[in-house]
Amino acid sequence: MPELPDLNPVIHGKLRLAVLSLLAGVEQAEFTWLRGKTGSTDGNLGAQLLKLEEAGYLAVEKKFLMRKPQSVYRITEQGREALAEYVQALKMLLGPAINV
Amino acid sequence: MQEQMSKQDLNERFALVESMIAEGRRSTESWGWVFLLWGVAYSVAIGWASCGRGLSVWGSNYVEIGPARVGLAWPVTMICSVILTLAIGLRKGGRRSGTASVRAIVSIWISVGVAMLLLFPALGASGRLEEHGFVAIVTAMLGVANGASGLILRWKAQIACAVVWWTASAIACFGSPAQTTIVFLAAIFLCQIVFGTYAMILESRRSRRVISHA
Repeated sequence: MPELPDLNPVIHGKLRLAVLSLLAGVEQAEFTWLRGKTGSTDGNLGAQLLKLEEAGYLAVEKKFLMRKPQSVYRITEQGREALAEYVQALKMLLGPAINV
Repeated sequence: MQEQMSKQDLNERFALVESMIAEGRRSTESWGWVFLLWGVAYSVAIGWASCGRGLSVWGSNYVEIGPARVGLAWPVTMICSVILTLAIGLRKGGRRSGTASVRAIVSIWISVGVAMLLLFPALGASGRLEEHGFVAIVTAMLGVANGASGLILRWKAQIACAVVWWTASAIACFGSPAQTTIVFLAAIFLCQIVFGTYAMILESRRSRRVISHA
């Protein structure tokens, strides 16, 4: 019987998983856009983004647009691979119980 | 960790990944259909305006064409295309775009679209519209929009489309109306229909990338 895979704890959290998945579908996204899509608070989202950034799964560019600070996030290749591995692990764990 | 998680939790995670990827794609990345739609619209307008009476952008050189019929081809096709674009765009999720680059690109295309929708009816009404000038201006403007978008996205395929439009714009200043129409149709085919189809294929592939790789 094949060994069951471990789920990556860095992206297992729902908000971190949602953010990484959102960024997998776009080139890059602003903080406010991510906040709107996930319905999270500034503080919580900021903390989760920092964890993903520290893991090397996200890259952030901070700049000023019309004198307002703007943070633009994009998924790294490492983050894309981690998400793909996570989905693979989920599929293996769920087996035929997967709801697709 | 997974021993403590139920199958339902894991399924929720899986559904979350799928829905978020789809959400991101719906909001920012589905534009290929617009190129395809407008490519078909330009072709239909040209075909309608000049059908059975020789190749010309709007067939106004041919006296036997009823003026109402010729005059209706472009306005009707363009108005229908604008309505269709707005309807499909709103249905696909016409919310405020989330990234600065997407907002910049959308702004460029809206500005170019508004300029064309105001300029050409005004030129037509004033009697100052002629085929070579029309094709040269349309292709140059589409070159500007494609060039700006391609440079923002660093997308070589779209920059190549801009080069095709600009080349068509220069060529449109020379030759007969029929030759101008052929150049216009060739550019429409390459930069709207082929490019639009290519963009739609890329969008579809990209959305499935993470899931299918896993």
